[in-house]
Amino acid sequence: MTSIAAAPHARRKELLAALLRSGSFLTGVIIVLFWIACALFGRHFVPYDPLAEDILDSLAQPSAQHWFGTDPLGRDIFSRFIVGSRDILTVAPLATVLGTLIGTALGLLTGYFRGIVDDVVSRLFEAFMAMPTIIVALLAIVALGTSKTTVIIVIGLAFAPSIARTVRSAVLSERELDYVAAAKLRRENAAHIMFVEILPNVLPPVVVESTVRLSYAIFGVATLSFLGFGLQPPSPDWGLSISANYGMIAGGYWWTVLFDALAIASLVIGVNLIADGLHGALDA
Amino acid sequence: MPRNSDLLSSLRSRLTPLENHLIDGYVDGRVNRREFLRHGSVLGLSLPLLGRLSLAAGLGAVPTMARAGVQPGATIRVGCATPVSMDPVRLGSPGGVLLVMQVGEFLCINEPDRVLSPCLATSWKPNQDGTVWTFVLRKGVKFHSGGEMKADDVVATFDRLADPNSASPALSAFRGILQKGATRKLDDYTIEFHLDSPIGNFPYLVSSDNYNTVILPASYAGDFETTWDGTGPFKIEKFDRRRGASFVPFEDYWGPKTLPARTEFVFYDDIQPQILALQGGQIDVINTASALDSVALMNDPAIDILAIKSSGHMSIHMRCDIEPFNDPRIRRAVALCIDREKLVKGLMKGQAIIGNDSPFAPIYPSTDPTVPQRMRDVAQAKELMKAAGMEKGFQAKITLPKQSELPAYAQLVQAWVKEIGIDLQLQVLDWKSYAGDAKYGSSPWLDVPMGMMTWGNRGVPNVYLASSLMSTGTWNSAHFKNEQFDTLTKGYIAALDLEAQRATAGKIQRLMLEETPGVYAYFWSYLSPVKKGVVGVKPNAMGQLFLQGAGKA
Repeated sequence: MTSIAAAPHARRKELLAALLRSGSFLTGVIIVLFWIACALFGRHFVPYDPLAEDILDSLAQPSAQHWFGTDPLGRDIFSRFIVGSRDILTVAPLATVLGTLIGTALGLLTGYFRGIVDDVVSRLFEAFMAMPTIIVALLAIVALGTSKTTVIIVIGLAFAPSIARTVRSAVLSERELDYVAAAKLRRENAAHIMFVEILPNVLPPVVVESTVRLSYAIFGVATLSFLGFGLQPPSPDWGLSISANYGMIAGGYWWTVLFDALAIASLVIGVNLIADGLHGALDA
Repeated sequence: MPRNSDLLSSLRSRLTPLENHLIDGYVDGRVNRREFLRHGSVLGLSLPLLGRLSLAAGLGAVPTMARAGVQPGATIRVGCATPVSMDPVRLGSPGGVLLVMQVGEFLCINEPDRVLSPCLATSWKPNQDGTVWTFVLRKGVKFHSGGEMKADDVVATFDRLADPNSASPALSAFRGILQKGATRKLDDYTIEFHLDSPIGNFPYLVSSDNYNTVILPASYAGDFETTWDGTGPFKIEKFDRRRGASFVPFEDYWGPKTLPARTEFVFYDDIQPQILALQGGQIDVINTASALDSVALMNDPAIDILAIKSSGHMSIHMRCDIEPFNDPRIRRAVALCIDREKLVKGLMKGQAIIGNDSPFAPIYPSTDPTVPQRMRDVAQAKELMKAAGMEKGFQAKITLPKQSELPAYAQLVQAWVKEIGIDLQLQVLDWKSYAGDAKYGSSPWLDVPMGMMTWGNRGVPNVYLASSLMSTGTWNSAHFKNEQFDTLTKGYIAALDLEAQRATAGKIQRLMLEETPGVYAYFWSYLSPVKKGVVGVKPNAMGQLFLQGAGKA
């Protein structure tokens, strides 16, 4: 058996210690936890209802009354900035989980069975990955209609091939190891060997790849919202707000866009720092 | 100013009873000067004659256009939307409308002040009941290809547009009014339009207001993008479908000398790069920008924004044939939630006029100003919801295109109707997905229970009434079927006399307040941002820019 199977508790402690020593991991966790807290509890401590319009006070500059100013409908940008994480932190992680589940299952299948299964599925993945993700997503959304569920499914499916390829590569080396041969001798069925024996040993690259995919999913959700194919008004979603207000920059109304852009950037940086920390700890 | 009764009588003696009735209204104060000029121009009275009548009546002179302070020889650079089609017959995109009218001209022009002025026609007259309109053509007008414009060219132009197989947007104005073969040549410089039914405002349908009616040579073969053959003050110099076009003065132009040495049109797919280009000095004029887009330029001291009041509007339609909007009380309740003053002041930054839930914009002389203005009244809206058995509210979806200020407007409506318990979900689509093929059954615009639409300016409300509200309308998105409305609209369209038009308009306006197939909350102003120092640019509310008098001060 592998080292993880032989001494899982010790390995976990070692991993945790490595993560806690990682500055990038801790910084990323703090940033992401901040946004998760905003998503969960933001509505309770924002100064204004993020959907409440005050059209006669539109485009007000940042001030003591409105820390980040107001948008063209007179809504408080700070309140929308805080609450805007809610939708993106629901949709992007769920899409990543979906993509990881499908990608891992397909990666295990293709890596374990190889042969015709591997050839056919891998060629399909290559064909799928040759198409720009955002175009595929747009086509699917146009066909299925705009909703959070559609966005989750579309982004999840779009990410599945890259996760499957990562898992497949790991499985190709694992399937040749002794513990897999031992499982076969014990007449374990293929599903057991793939999901009980091999999967725990390929989890590290899956975790790292999923974390990286999460940051892409955040960008993907924001991009779809920006293009008008994601979340619908009056959601305070950051991408949607940038799309609605970016024309204001030319007139000097920078605050209508800057804070939402910073929010997306900080969340992506936070997730990437976590991925970086995980990668370092798992490789150690 | 004293009245000159002798001169007034002398001038009136040459006019028809219809024209004299208009003068009676002006002298008695029932018709104001703007309405007098506007309707007088529809009846074919020239601006100088209207001016003399006004002076003789002791009511002052009429304004005239001046070209003072314009230096000739400038290059005027315009930012505009990328054109889709350049064939005047099928023209529909804003970029195409703008480019074609640089080289082409119309029988008459709907001026920025909404007075019709002569262009390729020098005068026009209706018969007694408005079924036959006679137009006298200007002599000595040359096409860019060299031939003289004559009646045969005008007849061929209108026969081409009135042909049901032409697929021209002009058919929306001509269907049931002007058939192929009904434009007849009397001599080389006189034509008659024989209409299917009386139309009081017919000259608008053959003016720049109906942008497909550019007069083309009789031999036109659909190759405008190659020939660019019109009679206008500019001729084509260069055209690149994706980048832009440039024009230079046409030496044999019939009208006043063209002042710019050159005009350049730069194509953009979005308004934001145009705003940046104007601020950066790469262009001098933006053809059109919405109020929300223009916010970015309103505080810029280097930019002037030319604003023209228009009848253009954003309508909200509610399907009158399906629940819950099949109950007029629900529709009225929705309309009563709308805060029109806030929309105009806040969303439109004052660049709009409050609407009264009909397409009769305040700028129309025929609009009845005595009809009570609908204002926000949430208490009454709640009572109507209760009377309709909907006091607990309901869920509904409003579908709209991502265009101009529509998404922002929809969010305000969403917030306002929530106060009476309506949980309105928004579905924002791109323009092409929303409009579909503009046919019932395959167009979200025409099929959804509740939607929004942008309507461009029209010199008269005929198209709004006939196409979007009559039972037989091709774009009746509210599925509004009301016999009384249909009868009144036919009467309004047929009326030649301004006061008769206004009386019928009042009845239509009141009926629409009662039925409320849609919400017409405001009529936007047409905005053209122009770099300071650029003068003589004359936009109209149809998205056309007249640049022959433009220059740099």
